[in-house]
Amino acid sequence: MPPRYGKLDVSDWGKSAPTINGYRTEPWKLNGARLLEFRYEVDDGPADALLPPALHPAMPAYATFTVMDSPDSPIGRFMLGEVRIVGRAGGRPAAFVAASFCDSEVASRELSARWGYPVKPADVKLTAQHFVIAARVSTNGHPMLELELRNRRPLPAVHLQPLPSMNLARNSENGNLVLVQVDIDAVFAQSDGGSERVIKLDRDAFRGAENLRLMSPMSATFAVAELTLARIQLICDPESPAESGTIYLD
Amino acid sequence: MKFGIAYEISVPRPWTRESEKTVYDRCLEQVRLADQLGFDFIWAVEHHFLEEYSHCSSPELFLTACAMITQRIRLGFGIVVCVPEYSSPIRIAERTATLDILSGGRLEVGTGRSATWTELGGFRANPDETKKTWDEFVHCLPKMWTQERYSYQGVTWSMPQRTILPKPYQKPHPPLWVAVTSPGTEVDAAERGLGSLGLTFGTVEEQEEKLKRYRRIIRNCEPVGDFVNEQVATINFLYCHEDNAQGVATGRRVTDRFIPLATQFVHNPEAIPTRSGASQGLLATLRRQAAAPGAAPPGIAIGDPARITRELKKWEAMGIDCVNFILNVLEVVPQEQVLDSLRLFAREVMPHFRDGRGESEDEALKSTSRQSAAAGGR
Repeated sequence: MPPRYGKLDVSDWGKSAPTINGYRTEPWKLNGARLLEFRYEVDDGPADALLPPALHPAMPAYATFTVMDSPDSPIGRFMLGEVRIVGRAGGRPAAFVAASFCDSEVASRELSARWGYPVKPADVKLTAQHFVIAARVSTNGHPMLELELRNRRPLPAVHLQPLPSMNLARNSENGNLVLVQVDIDAVFAQSDGGSERVIKLDRDAFRGAENLRLMSPMSATFAVAELTLARIQLICDPESPAESGTIYLD
Repeated sequence: MKFGIAYEISVPRPWTRESEKTVYDRCLEQVRLADQLGFDFIWAVEHHFLEEYSHCSSPELFLTACAMITQRIRLGFGIVVCVPEYSSPIRIAERTATLDILSGGRLEVGTGRSATWTELGGFRANPDETKKTWDEFVHCLPKMWTQERYSYQGVTWSMPQRTILPKPYQKPHPPLWVAVTSPGTEVDAAERGLGSLGLTFGTVEEQEEKLKRYRRIIRNCEPVGDFVNEQVATINFLYCHEDNAQGVATGRRVTDRFIPLATQFVHNPEAIPTRSGASQGLLATLRRQAAAPGAAPPGIAIGDPARITRELKKWEAMGIDCVNFILNVLEVVPQEQVLDSLRLFAREVMPHFRDGRGESEDEALKSTSRQSAAAGGR
């Protein structure tokens, strides 16, 4: 028997996938980005339905909840909130972006067209105080994601391990669905850990529905960093195992 | 050079009522044969929750069964996890001593901590604490084995004075090892006079520096036990066949299945920000090998007897004392082929590494540990 693979219905999920304009985008530097990220175990079996067949699930299954404030990017300030389901592309960790929300129309357009982010508009807020760091993603006053990091304590940045994202997008040249790996390089200026509290998760808003069930917290981190959204180097067929369906771009 | 077999006990899906029993029965059949063929060690891991990869969560029970069906092969915890959420050190001392008695003094005790969040998180143990708990446990164990009455007040655990029973059959106590996967653990091993139980598939060149460092430091060690166990073991795969191409192809079926299986689990730094760094270890090497489909990876013991002898000679020349083999993963190699591979290896390869294959049990045991032999051995 092969290892377990994701069971996402790619063609159905991909109906709303953004169109990506080729893979030749230049890297983006995001200076002074502030990043709150929770890692949280989710119900193991149902989460398979949130991963494309290209990926096989992590054991235990887990998701990341991320809210980023990017004050200085090539298109100005934007804020992004997203939920990712972490799997494996071949042997490597890769986090499939279930949904993301952005407060900037320009950034949304560019992130979709360049890296295939499935972005929708929303209000995204991130406030960092000494005792609590809070993040909120909402539309029309309706909260979809609310996170709190408490008991903040400094962490050596070397202990943080960013995970590459996998976006499901449609290739503008041939109309095919493709998984685009987005590598994020980080130079951390500050990093903190703490205890996590998910106050609100609208599972439907992040396309998780009944398959995204929180089980057990893993970690919560807050970082200030210079992030680089790297040039796309890897794409893969969402329907084939990544170990055989991956294409390395020159 | 000595040879052992390392058991993860990998059970493929779909799981039926019989599947785990079948795999355990096959492992025991291999162990019985390995004992007859002159292999030196059986090692059994302690893993938890690692589905398909390892269904060996109670190695002491498996090793007890091994002890009952064998005469001379030594039996190793490879390793017992030294984390209080898993086991009290009292229970470790008791279980190991009991197994040493039941096996007639054939026990080796590998120690370590877990590298995965899948396991540590399952026990709600903090990965950042495991180095400390391991260190306390390995300092306590020999005293718990050898002192009639024992009490301890430490950082991660404590106990009032009690008599911990039974005591090991081997005197002064079984040899102690530590699993070496994370960079720097070979230094921990050497400083404490512990055997280095390598669990990564690094190349000869990659492991040579580690070995030199270990040999240098252990000369001035402060042993945690009553003797120094200066032995270095490494892990490998084994599939031996008269036809080299067939041997390599079958061996590659095992190594290639290992990668997706092992990488499913969440290693500590992926889950939480921690200084408990997991070595890429075996995975890094196997990924490199995976880039060359069908090729025989350097240093890996698959192929015909001539190739395997050649590759193992490199390890011997480097100064490795023992190579422990993984025989199967997910049962991709049929049992009869595994047994034939063991027989062929014993017949064609082992003699190149031993002057006295027919050495007596006492002689075999004597050479297991220079210090335990000096101290009276069994």
